[in-house]
Amino acid sequence: MKDKTNDNTADSCLPGGLIPADQWALPQTSVRRSLKDAIRHALKQLRAGVSQAEEPFESMDELPELSAAQQRRLAPEPDYSHQAEAIACSLRQARSEGSLSREVVCLVAPPFSGVAQALARFSAPEKPDSIARDGEKWRIIAPPKTLSFNDHEAGEWWDKQDLSRPWVIPELADFWLRSLSGLALVKELFRRIANGNTGAGIVGSSSWCWRYWGHYLENAQMSPWTPAPMEAERLGIWFTYLASGKSDSPVVARMTGDGLYVLPCPETDEAENDKKSKKRKYSTFLRDLAATSRGNPGVALAIWQRALRARPDDDAKLEEAEDKAHKHSEAADCWVVPLGRLSLPNMPQSKEGVTGFILHGLLLHNGLDAESLEIVTGVSTYELSLVLSRLKRAELVSCDQLDGRWQVTPIGYPTVRRHLQSWGFPLDQF
Amino acid sequence: MIDDLGIKAAFASITGQALLKALLVVVIASLITVAVQKVLPRVAEKLGGKPRLYLLASVPLLRLLIILATIVIVVPILVEPSFENMVAIFGALALALGFAFKDYANSLIAGIVTLYEMPYRPGDWIEVDGQYGQVRAINTRAAEIITPDDTIVIIPHNKLWNSLIANGNDGTDNLMCVADFHLEANHDVSQVRDLLRDIAFTSPRTKTWQPVLVIVFNKPWGMHYRLKAYPFDPKDQFQFISELTARGSAELARQGVKFVSAPVSVN
Repeated sequence: MKDKTNDNTADSCLPGGLIPADQWALPQTSVRRSLKDAIRHALKQLRAGVSQAEEPFESMDELPELSAAQQRRLAPEPDYSHQAEAIACSLRQARSEGSLSREVVCLVAPPFSGVAQALARFSAPEKPDSIARDGEKWRIIAPPKTLSFNDHEAGEWWDKQDLSRPWVIPELADFWLRSLSGLALVKELFRRIANGNTGAGIVGSSSWCWRYWGHYLENAQMSPWTPAPMEAERLGIWFTYLASGKSDSPVVARMTGDGLYVLPCPETDEAENDKKSKKRKYSTFLRDLAATSRGNPGVALAIWQRALRARPDDDAKLEEAEDKAHKHSEAADCWVVPLGRLSLPNMPQSKEGVTGFILHGLLLHNGLDAESLEIVTGVSTYELSLVLSRLKRAELVSCDQLDGRWQVTPIGYPTVRRHLQSWGFPLDQF
Repeated sequence: MIDDLGIKAAFASITGQALLKALLVVVIASLITVAVQKVLPRVAEKLGGKPRLYLLASVPLLRLLIILATIVIVVPILVEPSFENMVAIFGALALALGFAFKDYANSLIAGIVTLYEMPYRPGDWIEVDGQYGQVRAINTRAAEIITPDDTIVIIPHNKLWNSLIANGNDGTDNLMCVADFHLEANHDVSQVRDLLRDIAFTSPRTKTWQPVLVIVFNKPWGMHYRLKAYPFDPKDQFQFISELTARGSAELARQGVKFVSAPVSVN
């Protein structure tokens, strides 16, 4: 019974489980929506320089956005320790089925998928049983403070790391810099993995970083695994799981325009065996969201959070509802703005080369501080600060106040990826 | 002569009104052509990447279509489009062009062949008779290239018949750049090759999904290395080569590998 519960949780917080990366496929959407997106993107590029709009995000309806309390209840950030359990469970399953035989597993995922955060919790003391392998706990390998090494120094650094017992690198992108002296650590790691000089381990990597190293190490065949893409159905399961937690009452979300249902997903309804719910008409919102976010859960959640609306008096009602253990009502918990009425952040007008180098550098390294960004891009400090502040105003990047690390935002990621593609930069496979 | 060809008979029916009409069509066609030639390149500049190349390449093709459409519309306005009349008009035209404007006609025909065979398109980086530059426009008689020193060179299309035309990117945005390093002998060749490869891979301008190659030649004066890589944007080729050369030279000097001070020419 306990196992079954664990499996259900794993299914909900990592719907689809892990799959070999070459089996990953982009969630499908309608031809109409694809054409609309392509035309909208082309028009945005043409308008760059004509319109000086700096407003990053514009709400086109009069319903208020969710308050912090409402967002915590209806679209909270995921609990990564559950995701860590789900990843461990998926890997165990793949090993038992024989589809995974390598000692060192590479988990590649697009930014904001939460894989790095989940892998960082592999040594969490509160969940030792589900993640530990054969009674041994996983050891997290943290990157050194400075990444400048020559080949000899890199070898010495890896010698000091205990790779004989199960180890995890949550994010490979933290171990290198795109500079001459910044490649040695990763080169040495892959050399050791290829030679079989390490014990069992997991290498988590951002898809952008992985693509770069795939080009650099032409002959490396690492057969990476990745979380299954979040299609409409999986998004429905995941959003319901995030909103409901372990409670039995699924959240109800309906479109603002036509009242069509978004959540609960159809499968949940069938289980209820309710005649009324069988007659419900469903919106294509989740399908469009899956395509817009390219199956990326972090991006989908960011857009989902922006799309949710509540009536002004809903705050109190939702708090009341939280107290009731078995709330069941046909009234919507929240409303969803159609994707067409949401405007994602726009790329500000600037020299596309410099902007591209900066954004591409940030994605390759899964975020960087200004000093490292200057080394990686070759852009001067002055110009870098100008472009970064402009990108920040446009809500495409954000800076962590604690460590000064700049990152692309989840809500800005689709715009950034699309523009990098237009400018000819190499993209990830997801 | 003109009577024999039937030209007189063919043009006998032309009225003043028909002439005005034809003139109006020609003026409208010219305006559309000018608009296409001005607007599309500007739109293409905004788009970047492959759409930019496709849009630029469509300019001369659209102009040819407009010219053909104008001829098809104007001729029936001026003369009755019977077989005899057509033979008479085009025969006379061919004679005039053949004798008076032989070279001009040659270039015009080559221009049409250019649109079909596409040895170069707007946006391509080409070299013809020692002149290297980016094709800025393909006009009816000649192509315009702009050199890296910002000089416009007009290349008549008839060069197509008897000149070697080198095209660096051939309608794509992939243009290979080469940085040369002339080094003294007695160093670790493998280490230098790895180092130069890393120089290209760590440049933010490098297309890492395209091949990065380091070729080495053993010369009597030392070793000649050629680092080959593709920049994101062919327009950045000179900056890209300069960056590779500067970073490569600095790192080689740091590693104690010396450059040859004066290459010796050997026959």
